[in-house]
Amino acid sequence: MNKGEIVAGFLAPHPPHLVYGENPPQNEPRSRGGWEPLRWAYERARASLERLQPDVLLVHSPHWITQLGHHFLGVPELRGKSVDPIFPNLFRYDFALNVDVELAAACCAEARASGLVAKMMRNPNFRVDYGTITTLHMMRPQWDIPVVGISANNSPYYLSTSEGLGEMALLGQATRRAIEKTGRRAVLLASNTLCHWHFHEEPAIPEDMSHEHPQSYEGYLWDMRIIELLRQGRTREVFEILPQFIDEAFAEVKSGAFTWMFAAMGYPEIPGELHGYGTVIGTGNAVMEWDLTRAA
Amino acid sequence: MPLVAAFLVPGSPLHYLRPAVAPWAPLVHAHAQAAATLAAAQPDVLIVYSTQWIAVLDELWQLRPRVQGLHVDENWYDFGDLPFDLRIDTELAGACIAASAQIGVRSKGVDYDGFPIDTGTIVANGFLNPDNRVPLVIAANNVYHDWQRTEQLGALAAAQAERLARRYALIGVGGLSGTIFRDEIDLEADRIASAADDSANRELLEALAGTDGVQLRAACAEYATKVRTDMGMKHLAFVLGGLGERYAGARTLGYGPSYGSGAAVLEFNVPGQVVSRGNA
Repeated sequence: MNKGEIVAGFLAPHPPHLVYGENPPQNEPRSRGGWEPLRWAYERARASLERLQPDVLLVHSPHWITQLGHHFLGVPELRGKSVDPIFPNLFRYDFALNVDVELAAACCAEARASGLVAKMMRNPNFRVDYGTITTLHMMRPQWDIPVVGISANNSPYYLSTSEGLGEMALLGQATRRAIEKTGRRAVLLASNTLCHWHFHEEPAIPEDMSHEHPQSYEGYLWDMRIIELLRQGRTREVFEILPQFIDEAFAEVKSGAFTWMFAAMGYPEIPGELHGYGTVIGTGNAVMEWDLTRAA
Repeated sequence: MPLVAAFLVPGSPLHYLRPAVAPWAPLVHAHAQAAATLAAAQPDVLIVYSTQWIAVLDELWQLRPRVQGLHVDENWYDFGDLPFDLRIDTELAGACIAASAQIGVRSKGVDYDGFPIDTGTIVANGFLNPDNRVPLVIAANNVYHDWQRTEQLGALAAAQAERLARRYALIGVGGLSGTIFRDEIDLEADRIASAADDSANRELLEALAGTDGVQLRAACAEYATKVRTDMGMKHLAFVLGGLGERYAGARTLGYGPSYGSGAAVLEFNVPGQVVSRGNA
């Protein structure tokens, strides 16, 4: 077996509004569009993914929150209807996905070997969270690449940010070892928004973009600072200021996906490609790519 | 028409799905006691507030007349599935939505096939209303609502139930101390995570036995400085808001651990209520 590799990582946020705006057949509600700059950003990311030809997509989602360790989807096929509990008016999506259970089990075993509590989710009736589904749909609406779904253990919130993100770094390193040992050509998806300050009321027409803008100017400035550093490949500096970013911008990267992905990739000091940035109910969302095949 | 009963219940699926685990027996028995009391009280509707139904925009109320499905808890999925079949008092839920503006809250109804009902609501209904005889009103826990706003919501729901002449019961669904074990444990050896948490929980239960609502609220505030509470104990705030001036203390029917966290079944004293037997 060839040694596996991570070929790319994407920052791939999961506002269900993007699926709603696209009107795919799987989603029940209909829209008149909306959030086009972000959806066009995902079109660019989809083209990159097509070129990368991975065997598997691994996604870490903040909306599968687990208390007892880090969990992995462990059922070969999962299907059902995912209704977003926060935005049920926008997201009622019929999903069907194939899980790379062998890789998931390898990730779980490596995580355990790292001293983390880790579990395989084997219940076939399990309802996959909308964060996982939205990110996967926006990256690959064909659903023809197997996936590994990873929960967000609540350690950054339950313990301290640094302790929690320390766990996520271990999880990322374990994920990398599992990919290498199983010979997979893998793409990582960090399902995270940046600044997470948001409006508390929804416009009467959710896709009325005349209401869409950053909820917080300070949060917007933080997003631009982080994106600019990432575009310049100044990864170490990003992680030095990450705790401050999390505190001051209420950044969703606290939940761990961003740290998990960068730890798995070895914190590459390479320029990230910004496919696009936009706000969703005021939160800051960037679609970004780190192509490790170009960096090699 | 009157308030006929009020309870605080934990909402953890552990006791419901694994009732034979010895440390969880007091909570299982307490739920049975509460269910018997509730049945004797013959409510028309159960008004349920669960800390596990999280809302971010607006205050959400379930508006689908019948909600059926199979829920799998995102943490405890290997303990079994949670089928549910709930009837909703949509007239009362709609009245609560319409009245929300009076307290400065924007409310919305949810009426969608496949909407994810939270574990706490399903478990509470399963224990207390196992044959789904009594319809529910289910209110979400908006994470931006504080204790006071949540009390206002409870009062609003109670007022609307009375306006519509319902015999109603208030059910707050949530835990006590929230520190859990973060490693796999032998379930038969489950216990409250620390002596300090156990002591704080018992102090709170003692305060709840008293009849002075002002003292109780002060005790809750102090409790929150000692333990990691479940959502700031807003499930208790909702019930206290619904009880209002009728608050007259509560009896602990059962207390115990839930994977290290604290859990209790409490029965509030309600004037004219059929009192259940026994105590923890």
